[in-house]
Amino acid sequence: MKEWKEVKETYAEKTWCPGCPDFGILVAAKKALNELAKENKIELKNVVTVVGIGCHAKIYDYLDLNGYYSLHGRVIPALTGIKIANPELIPIGFAGDGDTFAEGMNHFVHACKRNSNINLFVHNNQVFGLTTGQITPTTEKGFIGPTTPFGSFEDPINPIKIALAARATFVARGYALNIEHLSFLMKEAILHKGFSFIDIIQPCVTYHNTRSFFEKKVYDLQSVQHNTKSFEEAMKRADEWNYSLDENAKIPIGIFYKTERSCFEDFLSQKPLWSIERRFNKKILEDF
Amino acid sequence: MDLNILIGAEAGKGTARTSLMIGRVFTLYGYYVFNYRDYPSLIKGGHNFNVLRISDEKVNSHENEYDIIIALDKKTIERHKDNLKKDGIILTEKSLIEEQDVKKYSDIKYRIIYLDASDVMKKHSFQEIIVNNILAGSLFKFLGIPLEFALKAAEKEFGEKSDKIKIAITEGYNLIKEPKIKEPQKVNKIKRNKKYFISGNEAIGLGAIASGLDLYIAYPMTPASPLMHFLALQQKKHNIFVVQLEDEIACINAAIAGSYAGARTMVGTSGGGFALMTEAISLQGMNEIPLVVYLAQRPGPSTGVPTYTSQGDLKFALNAGHGEFLRIVVAPGDAKEAFEKTIEAFYLSEKYRAVSIILGDKHLGESTYSFDSFKLDSSKILEKIKPTNKKMDYKSYLITENGISPRALPGSNFIVRATSYEHDEYGITTEDPEIIKKMVNKRMKKIETIKKETKKMETFKVYGKGKNLIIGWGSTKGAIIDALKKLEDFSFLQIYYLSPFPNEIKKYIENAKNVFIIENNATSLLSQVIAENIGIKIENKILKYDGRPFTPNEIIKEIENW
Repeated sequence: MKEWKEVKETYAEKTWCPGCPDFGILVAAKKALNELAKENKIELKNVVTVVGIGCHAKIYDYLDLNGYYSLHGRVIPALTGIKIANPELIPIGFAGDGDTFAEGMNHFVHACKRNSNINLFVHNNQVFGLTTGQITPTTEKGFIGPTTPFGSFEDPINPIKIALAARATFVARGYALNIEHLSFLMKEAILHKGFSFIDIIQPCVTYHNTRSFFEKKVYDLQSVQHNTKSFEEAMKRADEWNYSLDENAKIPIGIFYKTERSCFEDFLSQKPLWSIERRFNKKILEDF
Repeated sequence: MDLNILIGAEAGKGTARTSLMIGRVFTLYGYYVFNYRDYPSLIKGGHNFNVLRISDEKVNSHENEYDIIIALDKKTIERHKDNLKKDGIILTEKSLIEEQDVKKYSDIKYRIIYLDASDVMKKHSFQEIIVNNILAGSLFKFLGIPLEFALKAAEKEFGEKSDKIKIAITEGYNLIKEPKIKEPQKVNKIKRNKKYFISGNEAIGLGAIASGLDLYIAYPMTPASPLMHFLALQQKKHNIFVVQLEDEIACINAAIAGSYAGARTMVGTSGGGFALMTEAISLQGMNEIPLVVYLAQRPGPSTGVPTYTSQGDLKFALNAGHGEFLRIVVAPGDAKEAFEKTIEAFYLSEKYRAVSIILGDKHLGESTYSFDSFKLDSSKILEKIKPTNKKMDYKSYLITENGISPRALPGSNFIVRATSYEHDEYGITTEDPEIIKKMVNKRMKKIETIKKETKKMETFKVYGKGKNLIIGWGSTKGAIIDALKKLEDFSFLQIYYLSPFPNEIKKYIENAKNVFIIENNATSLLSQVIAENIGIKIENKILKYDGRPFTPNEIIKEIENW
């Protein structure tokens, strides 16, 4: 019998690169979940981790929790399906930047609009790691990788602005190496009723090592008394960094925007679908 | 009595609804009815028509030669007059046809009856569309149907909105002085038992509900959409949930994950949407979470002909998704089978943790069939699993003798995993060659296990005892069965399960004198599947690939001229 008071790690061997900030995200997630469980705000048996495909997804193997290893780009539909089927479950999605903003962008915009009560934590290292260093939608212009040997010629997208424009109700940015802060964001996200999006920026120690850049540029929104209720201020703060490696950039982390509106599931079943008794009624065809 | 009635008009004029209402009147009165629906891919204008076949014997198809044409516009007359039978009648209303055309038609051999509904229309301030129902009323009188049956059926078809329609039917009824067709005496001979009048799509929906459907997730695509519309309307009554997501990829991924979380789920689509779903069908092959998929075929490749019919996706369904895994593919031939086979599809999917594909097409889905009874085997409706507080060392992918790992739900007192990666018994990712092999063997074992059960199920059916054999699958059944009555020394082998394939059919083929395959496609996909499974090559192929279903007369002609 496993103890459900605490999230444990499995026997799976960790195969992230040494020094990978994904370890930071793993620790932050464990910490957030353990604290929420201790505060009796969630039951760990109801947590389901959902992952896409990429380095981030190995977290499925490491966290000893219910898990759904989905397809590249399809974390959001999986989270949505789980929540519709059983509103008591707490689906927590870990996804990559390529996963979410390339293959899965369609779902991302719709998730913001739909406001399912699900959580999406994007391991945004601005590069495809597991496939050896190609560009993603958040890679800066000029990046040299195996598919762009002469430098990429596209500007990156700004996922925070997209989420805001698409009416997401919880929009935050974390930094994978600020574990305390990230863990706080995760707790807030999980407790938020609606679609909670955390863009977790992180260096990729092998293909996109932005660590020294981030260490200089990152600042906490709380330190500037940012008003999380103001959409306009959120947009302004989001504009401070366009995901390029601009030396003049300031990179805010924290909650950009938080609001409440009805969730997708409010209009669907309020209890788990497994609990709906369905006795077959032979008269089902009699009306025809 | 055996009548073919065509009712035609521009799109948006309510011909489909009126046709079904007429069909319901005759079903209620005790006749067997088949309704074929033909409509182009547009919203207003164009030309829509329905063909109703009404008979005192079982009918499963329509013919393209008509006894009565109800023309709600000139185009209907122009298009179909040459297919009117020798004693056929065209029934229309004065205001619908211009005077110069009336003159033109008067020279020609067929009979046109112009009803004058102008007074009736004025009296009740009817809108133009109600002419349908006035003409339907006239038809009922024409064919000797008591008015009260017509009104009862109209109420059933139109519900609260039926008041005006009932008035229109009554007025139309009174426009005809006496029945024109001397058949009513035969009417007395028909059995007045309860008959069902259901479309293929509705039957699939009801089969799903009977199977304990919780959740239907889909994206609109003709000709699968009517199932979604139907289930959406059933939500409150049956406490089910119908959800439209942003694309087919989202639908199927959400459906599999929802099934993992404990909902009995189904998705539905047609060719292009199914193509988008195939990656997730492969996901199902690995994560072994039960899922039912409805694939309503239409002519392809690509966008093809959206509102017409085809059997071109058989091998696509059989091979959907990359990798080697169990796919169940079942093809019902009419509405009764659609209901029964949908229940089996859910049962097998749940029991074997597999994907079940219900392979239909536009003709099956959008045609309406009448039948007397249906089979219901309650042992095929499995209880849903629930989360449990049992203390146990649960393994999501436990290796068992039959290859089936017992399922559990998240929310239990232990960890439940589902994964797209190769995995060990707990569902943790692996690249270990021994574990990979064991897991592949486990999944392959399921294929052997399910075959033991499907062998005992009705995976195919033989009709008749003739020495010559017709083989078919899916919606061609109706026309073949009706043709069989007039073909000498023929029998019909209908294949329900394309996977697992019923190899037992071999002896029927070997013992037959001549063997014909009939399919709504260009390359005879079934004969390829037969060759692959039992090594028999069938040479005689009767194929139709113009988007239209076979009629019995077409089949008879093809075989007689062989």
